[in-house]
Amino acid sequence: MTIVSMKGIAKSFGSSVALADFTIDIRSGELICLLGPSGCGKTTALRILAGFERADSGTMLIDSKDISDLPPEKRGFGMVFQEYSLFPNMTARQNIEFGLRMQKIGGASRKETVDRMIDITRLEEHADKFPHQMSGGQKQRVALARAIAISPRVLLLDEPLSALDAKVRESLRDEIRRLQLEIGVTTIFVTHDQYEALAIADRVGVMSNGRLEQLASPRELYEAPANSFIAEFIGTTNTFSAQRRPDNKWEVLSKQLNSIIAPANGAVARAVIRPEQIALDVRDDGDGTILTISFLGAISRVIVADPTHGHIVADLISADAARLRIGDRVAIRIRDDVTEVVLFGVDVA
Amino acid sequence: MTSQAAAQKRSHIFRAAFLILIAGYFALPLLAMARFAFQNVPMALLTPEKLLTGWSAAGLQTALTDPQIISATWTSIQIVVLSIILNLVILVPLAIVTEVRNPALRPIITALTLLPWVIPPIALVVGVAATFRIAAPWFLASNLSLVPFYALWAMPFTYRLLDAGLRAINARTLYEAARGMGASFPAVMLRVILPNMRSSMIASAALTTALVLGEFAFASLLLKSTLPTEMVTFERSDPRGGLALALFVMVFTAVILGLVVRAMRRRGLTFHASGV
Repeated sequence: MTIVSMKGIAKSFGSSVALADFTIDIRSGELICLLGPSGCGKTTALRILAGFERADSGTMLIDSKDISDLPPEKRGFGMVFQEYSLFPNMTARQNIEFGLRMQKIGGASRKETVDRMIDITRLEEHADKFPHQMSGGQKQRVALARAIAISPRVLLLDEPLSALDAKVRESLRDEIRRLQLEIGVTTIFVTHDQYEALAIADRVGVMSNGRLEQLASPRELYEAPANSFIAEFIGTTNTFSAQRRPDNKWEVLSKQLNSIIAPANGAVARAVIRPEQIALDVRDDGDGTILTISFLGAISRVIVADPTHGHIVADLISADAARLRIGDRVAIRIRDDVTEVVLFGVDVA
Repeated sequence: MTSQAAAQKRSHIFRAAFLILIAGYFALPLLAMARFAFQNVPMALLTPEKLLTGWSAAGLQTALTDPQIISATWTSIQIVVLSIILNLVILVPLAIVTEVRNPALRPIITALTLLPWVIPPIALVVGVAATFRIAAPWFLASNLSLVPFYALWAMPFTYRLLDAGLRAINARTLYEAARGMGASFPAVMLRVILPNMRSSMIASAALTTALVLGEFAFASLLLKSTLPTEMVTFERSDPRGGLALALFVMVFTAVILGLVVRAMRRRGLTFHASGV
C-alpha cells in the first residue's frame, strides 16, 4: 500500500532548479534510499516532505491526505540529520524524551517508551550522558532513538552516516536496517554513497538534475539500469560498441548476447559490461596491457590499457588474478556465462 | 649543533624577546600607574633604598568612600544592568530569527550592526539630543538616558558573539529537529535555543559590562555622572586617589570577567567568538 506519494514536485532556489517534476510513490514499511550526486535535489526532496521547505508546485500525499500545507510539527515524521542535531543542554535520555513531552505523552508511558528506545538502540551505558560526552556514532544512535520514539508515520534520514568514520558508518548502517525491520517504519534514507544505498534499501531511487531517474531494487538497478547515467553511476562500468546481428542478437567483443532491456534502435549501440563480466587471457598477441592489480580480498581489480577501448576494469577471483603480472599482454573477452547485455543508443551513451 | 637546530633556537629567542617586549608595553604603564597611586614618593626622589617605603592604600580608601564616587558607581551599575537587558532583548530575537528563519539576511544584519561604530559619539549625541530635547526632554534629564546609547554601542560586539554562538550550536538544525518532533515555536525557543545560548549571552553581558564601565565620551557629552566621568573629576582634585581607583576598577573588571569565563568553562560552556 502506498503511504507517501509525491507528484510533480518542483522547487527552485533563485535561478537554480533543485527539483523538476519529482514524482515518487513509497510503500508502507519499505526502506527507500534516495541516491544521487551532490546537488541532484535529494535533500531538497526530503526537506520538502518534512515541511522545512515549500514546493513551488506539485502535491504530497500521506495516506492519501494532502499534507502540502501542514507545518512540520503536524506531519508526524521523525527525522535524523547529517549534523549531530542533539540538544546540547539535554542528556541522551532527555533528548529521546523531548518529542514525547511535546506530544504530551504521560509520565509512565513516556518513561516506558524511552526505556524501550534506549534498549533497542543499545544506549544503556550512555543514557545519562550529555552530547559532548558521546562519540559521533553514539550521538547518531540517540538521534535515531529520538526520531523513532515518537512513532513516526515516516522516518526521514538525511545523510545520517556521512559525518562518521568508515567502521562506525558500516555498523550503524546495519543497525538502522535492523531497527527499521524490527519496528517496520517506512523510511526514506538520503545518501550520496551508493554502497550504503545498495546495502540496506528495499528500493533505491537514483536522482539526477532534480528528477527521479529510476526507482528499483538494488539488484535491478545494477543489472538493468534504465539509462546510461544510472549504469555509470551505480557500480563500475566498461562500455564497448555492440553491433546488431540479423537474428536480433548483439555482438560485443566477438560474443553474441541478448539485449536485457531497451534494445537501441539502429544497428550499433553501446554495451555496458560490468568488471566481473570480463575475462582476461594472457596471450603474447593480446591487445591489452595490464596496468595495475589491486588485491581486494576475495577478488582483485585489474586495470588493462587497451588501444581500442581505453582503460578496462576487470574484477577477477584473486586466485585467478595471482597468475597475472603488471605489464602482461592480455586478450579481453566477455565471460562465457554472460548471455545478456544492457544496451544504450550511441547518441545517449 | 646542526644549522636547523640553531635556526630553531634563534627563532625561540626572537619569539621570547618579542613577547617580553609586548608584555612590557602593556605592563610598564600599569606598574608606573600603580607606583604613583600607591607609593607616596616623588619620582625625582625615588632611589633603590626607598623602593619599599611610602606605600599606602589611603588614596584608594578615600576614593572608595567618596559620596560622589559611590553614587556614580551605583548609577553605573544600574546602567550596566539595563544596557545588558536592552541589548539582549533586542539582539537575541534578531540573531535567532536571522539564523533560523533567514540565514540569507545574515550579511546585511551583520553590516547593519556595525553602524554604531561608523557614527562618532559626538554626532550620535548631538543628533539624539537635538531630537529628544524637543520631543521628550525628560529622557535626556535622567542618567539612565545613557542606556540606549550603551546598548547600541555594545551591539557590534554582542551581535557577533550571539551569532557565533548560534552557529556553533547549529541552531537551524536544532530548530528543525525540535519542530519535526512536534514542538511549537515558543517551545523550541524556551527549551532548546535559549538554554543553549547561555554562554554567548553571558559573554555578551560581560563585554557590555566592560564597555559601560570604561565609556567616557557619551557620558561626558551628555553631562552625566557615571563612574568614568566621576573618576576623571575625582582625579583632578586627588590624582593619586583617582589613579588608584582607576586601577582598582580595571583589576576588578578583569577579575569579574575571568571568574565568568572560569564558571562557564566549569559548566562545559565555552566562548564562541569568531569574528570578535
